[in-house]
Amino acid sequence: MTNKFRLTPQDPEDLMYGQSVIVSARWILVVSGLFLALWNPGPMSELRMQILFILLLAIANFYLQAQLLMKKPASSGVVYFASAADLAVISVMVILGGGFESNVYVFYFPALLALSVAFSPASTLLFAGGAAGFYTFISFGSALFGDIDIQVLIARLIMMTAVAVCGQIYWRIERDRRSAAVKARKSLVAQLREVQAATD
Amino acid sequence: MKELRSPQQEAAEDIFFGQLVIIWARWFVILTGAILALWAASSISELTVASILIVALMAVNFFVHGRYMMERPINRTLTGLVSLIDLTIITLIVLAWRGQTGLDSPFFIFYYPVLAAFAFVFTPGFTLVYTVLALISYAGATFVSDPAALLQFQDLELLITRLITLAAMGGLGTYYWRIQRNRRRLAKNPQAERSRAPAGD
Repeated sequence: MTNKFRLTPQDPEDLMYGQSVIVSARWILVVSGLFLALWNPGPMSELRMQILFILLLAIANFYLQAQLLMKKPASSGVVYFASAADLAVISVMVILGGGFESNVYVFYFPALLALSVAFSPASTLLFAGGAAGFYTFISFGSALFGDIDIQVLIARLIMMTAVAVCGQIYWRIERDRRSAAVKARKSLVAQLREVQAATD
Repeated sequence: MKELRSPQQEAAEDIFFGQLVIIWARWFVILTGAILALWAASSISELTVASILIVALMAVNFFVHGRYMMERPINRTLTGLVSLIDLTIITLIVLAWRGQTGLDSPFFIFYYPVLAAFAFVFTPGFTLVYTVLALISYAGATFVSDPAALLQFQDLELLITRLITLAAMGGLGTYYWRIQRNRRRLAKNPQAERSRAPAGD
């Protein structure tokens, strides 16, 4: 139970397994985005743009999903780029929805959860920090057109951080449990070999 | 090499190791609650009530965290009960805090880390129940606060969006829990076929 925070390089296997969580989170974003766009459609030009964005996201995600199904997960660069694109799309939707007043910010939560269990601590820090920073910037930007509630903004930012931190803590706990399991197996195999050698 | 642990033992280990995630999610909720209570309280009575609530939650979490650090973490029943208390408190906040209640309450976001943490630690069956309970609690709180609001097109859209993202936290958490369990089993027994690794709890 000693989980000290340390910056570790990205483990390709972690990224491979975590990618499926990111892809699932993106499907949630696509389906919910489509639902939101069609439930209460804005002007025709705006709706057209929204659907175009969502379809592009769906096509990209279909490609990544297909790669996973064929057991050929995308490279780390592609995964990082796609996750950055997710956060960018959510941020654009927040800006279009009025900045701080927009209710679309809730999509940051599943996106941050997904990347926090797939990425290394350093990358998670970068992405979560970037998302929180950008959301703060958007919120203060929208203050030019109306009031923002600083307390509510702080609560949102802390909860975004909380989701990413919880994902990272779980990521580290599981990594430690796996490495303990591997050590235990190796030690058991060594003991069995010793016993076998002694009996032979 | 045959797996010696039963699924029940594995679930107990999940609680043993994983409850740190729930503890940290609760510390974040307490931190935010404390900041908001100290900052936003407009009367002595409001600050008093909020302080008592926060101190009570801190005491519970300190006890749980202390047990964890002594390598004697609390059992599944107690972890589940404390998580239910979390849900109740958040729902009460959504129902009653600062006059912004129901859909207007900005504090529904406390559900997100709590749901994710629970899904990481408990088996999918428990997570499903907990997530559904959270969704019903939030939808119920919005309905109790303003029954007419849910008949409005935009409010209903807002509620459904929030419920989808809340459900996503439970769903994604449990999905990752399954992935990690299969990875752990593979680490113990590399001969096992990845695709054949059982997924149920």
